Amino acid sequence: MTPLTVTLVLLSQLAQVGGQVLLKHGMSEVGRTPRRTGAVLRGLGGGIALLTAWFGLWMGLMQKLELSQLYPFTGLSPVLMVLAASLFLRERADGRTWLGVALITAGTILVAFSVPAGSH
Amino acid sequence: MTTPTKPPSAWYLNPYLHLGLNCALMAASELLLKVGATEQSGIAAPEWLKGTGLTTLGSWWTIAGIGLYILAFVNWLYVLRWIPLNLAYLVTSSVQVLIALGAWLLLGEGISLLRWGGIALITAGIVFSAQSSAQAEEKL
Repeated sequence: MTPLTVTLVLLSQLAQVGGQVLLKHGMSEVGRTPRRTGAVLRGLGGGIALLTAWFGLWMGLMQKLELSQLYPFTGLSPVLMVLAASLFLRERADGRTWLGVALITAGTILVAFSVPAGSH
Repeated sequence: MTTPTKPPSAWYLNPYLHLGLNCALMAASELLLKVGATEQSGIAAPEWLKGTGLTTLGSWWTIAGIGLYILAFVNWLYVLRWIPLNLAYLVTSSVQVLIALGAWLLLGEGISLLRWGGIALITAGIVFSAQSSAQAEEKL
């Protein structure tokens, strides 16, 4: 895997996490008074744009790499998501949340290694 | 206008029910897309066109898969309205488990011992993080 590919993989993960944070940000504004329609639309629009970028990057990577190489990186997304949620959304994460994240990441990596080499 | 700070009390609007529904929709959508892609892989078309994935749109399975995917996205927005992102996102890891089980039971794909191990770890991880969030909500 070249440094460029690794960078693209990380970028796609960041786009996914950023997209979800923006969606959550927008949806949290729904139903608040005073009404802030602009904030809702900015969140949803930005979120959908970033998730589209993630999808495009990911499809491009899947064409170049084998699934068994690419799939382990999806284990990163729970870690990044919980980090981003506590940084940008002030969601609390305690020891048990992080234990859960560690187990999910380990499980995802095991599942990734069980994907037979050569499959796309 | 009043500010709804609590989710609606009707059972069918319960956000956690919808989070579960979201996982089921995502898994069902992936399985439908897989059936559609497999069905269309044998058709006569130039390789470059097949590479774009557009030829898979010729199958109703694919169309149904896309329909469920869109439904799942709208449903996900409703989930985000009420449930913290970290909990909601971690619970959607169960989609991987549901897809593996669906591929095994419905599509006849094999599951290796390694994959069963991964599935068990992911499930345990979801239970731990869900417990932690449930406790945090009780304190509020």
